[in-house]
Amino acid sequence: MEARAFSPVLKKLIPVLLTIIIVAGLYKFYGAWAYTTKNLAEFFRLTWEHLVLVIISMAAAVTVGVGLGTLMTRKGFDHLSPAIMGVVNVWQSVPSLGVIALAYGFLPLLGLSGIGVVPALIALFFHAVAPIVRNTYAGIQAVSKDVIEAATGMGMNPKQILFRIELPNALPVIMGGVRTSTAIIVGTAPLAFLIGGGGLGFWIFTGIALMDMGIMVAGAVPVALIAMLADSALARTEKTVVSKGIQAEEYQVAM
Amino acid sequence: MNIMLKLENVTKIYPGAEHIKAVDELSFDLPEGEICTVVGPSGCGKTTAMKMINRLIPLTSGKIYIDGQNVNRLDTIELRRNIGYVIQNIGLFPNMTIAENIAVVPKMKGWDKNRITERAERLLELINLPPEEFMDRYPRELSGGQQQRIGVARAMATDPPIMLMDEPFGAIDPINRDHLQNEFLRIQDKVKKTIVFVTHDIDEAIKMGDKICLLKAGKLVQFAAPETMLTEPANDFVSDFLGGDRTLKRLNLLKLKAAMRPDPPVIMEEESPEKAKAMLTELKVDNLIVVDAEKRLLGYVNHEALEKEADEVRKVTRPTDSFMPASSSLKDGLSEIFTHDLGYLIVVDDDKKVLGVLNTEDIREILRR
Repeated sequence: MEARAFSPVLKKLIPVLLTIIIVAGLYKFYGAWAYTTKNLAEFFRLTWEHLVLVIISMAAAVTVGVGLGTLMTRKGFDHLSPAIMGVVNVWQSVPSLGVIALAYGFLPLLGLSGIGVVPALIALFFHAVAPIVRNTYAGIQAVSKDVIEAATGMGMNPKQILFRIELPNALPVIMGGVRTSTAIIVGTAPLAFLIGGGGLGFWIFTGIALMDMGIMVAGAVPVALIAMLADSALARTEKTVVSKGIQAEEYQVAM
Repeated sequence: MNIMLKLENVTKIYPGAEHIKAVDELSFDLPEGEICTVVGPSGCGKTTAMKMINRLIPLTSGKIYIDGQNVNRLDTIELRRNIGYVIQNIGLFPNMTIAENIAVVPKMKGWDKNRITERAERLLELINLPPEEFMDRYPRELSGGQQQRIGVARAMATDPPIMLMDEPFGAIDPINRDHLQNEFLRIQDKVKKTIVFVTHDIDEAIKMGDKICLLKAGKLVQFAAPETMLTEPANDFVSDFLGGDRTLKRLNLLKLKAAMRPDPPVIMEEESPEKAKAMLTELKVDNLIVVDAEKRLLGYVNHEALEKEADEVRKVTRPTDSFMPASSSLKDGLSEIFTHDLGYLIVVDDDKKVLGVLNTEDIREILRR
């Protein structure tokens, strides 16, 4: 009995402990701890810049992605949807570095600067929006036609059907898209440094350029930790906002 | 009798298929509190006809009146909220609990919380699902049969006078379907809704309908009570559709009460065996029903039983299972006659008082009528 009650805690604890051991080992081995403590102010500044890049681009991507994905399922737009989905699918296959490079190369053509935080945000936004559009569209499309027919027959208007039936039932799929995007964006954000967007990429690329593993690890490990924390936070959010009636039996919460 | 639902030359032509009339000049009147089963081969337009009533499908021409009001003049949303709607695949909202599912229409109509909860509890009791156990569960935790009962309860949430049911029991296995049909008829007996019930199953149509509306290629072939349709099919299509066994189907509809011979000869338990013997000889029968002072069934006696020494008939009475309540169908009665060796069936009331007897000859007689 006791072992069974203990095991779920243990199951959650093991990855956490493993992460701490690996992080501590890396920091010690490469001298990243010394570098970080010596440059603590810069560490906080870079982490803050990194978080700003992720949060702002994600917020914009969720708003636009869910909005566009929903719009594509509305009557009158449904003939446009295959074309939009085609663009979205192709766009999603462009690699992270390519998106950053495209922003650098393309924005000046529109008379905007290709260097700085704004181009970085634009690049990250475009990279993040595709999975959200795709999942929102697919999630709403997947809501059973019987459920919609029942709702219509019971006298719900289109707005009520969207907000009480379609979106709540598509939410697990939409949240899946948001989690995918977040993982991609946290990982892509270091590349923003290449076009002057700041963030923890500064230490990563500096470390690589100087062949100093300590600086590199001091930048890379926080990026990985942010990714894990973000996913864990989103998993928890998902558990609270998604109705118990449609939740998967067991959620994977890393921490 | 108040006509609750009236269809007047209702016609539907789908755009892109102008040469086909999906529903062709359909007219009928349905009195308040009756079930009209709409039946016909697939593609006959039965679902289309039903969906035009709550305007899920727009009419091409013709008029539909609910309680005297032309549905095309009413607000679509308001109209639908006042019509209970049950579909074959149930369509419960998976993100909502059972209580929330039932609350959808009452909420839209602005009922207060207590009234909604009270109503949901009452409805769950009506469909034999304990509220305390089911209110907070989600649809996926329920069996198909339970879900369909919730679907019916949800449609009755605001006590709408009219309900539309599109093959509501079509996706349910035969045993549960029979059970749900009986349960639904029991509920309907209490609530007396005016119901349009679409089905492809003629047996279900006969069982559930006060009226049957038989369609073929969008046209009304016959609109009649099941008994009338079985005895006087309008044409060959109707008799073919009813099947070669339509006489046997009437067995399902007719009750024992209608076919039995009332007031059969009986003997009181305290009479003497001699009198019983005399009666057997006089009436030229093989056995005699024994009753108590209240005329309640005790059993029977025959010559063999009366051979034994006894001062009262009671002591030699043999028990029998060959009896049924008067409200049972002739079909069940016939089956019972063949099961027992008495050769006939004793028809009793709820107190087991003898009302009449029935043998195969009586059944043949009533079916010939």
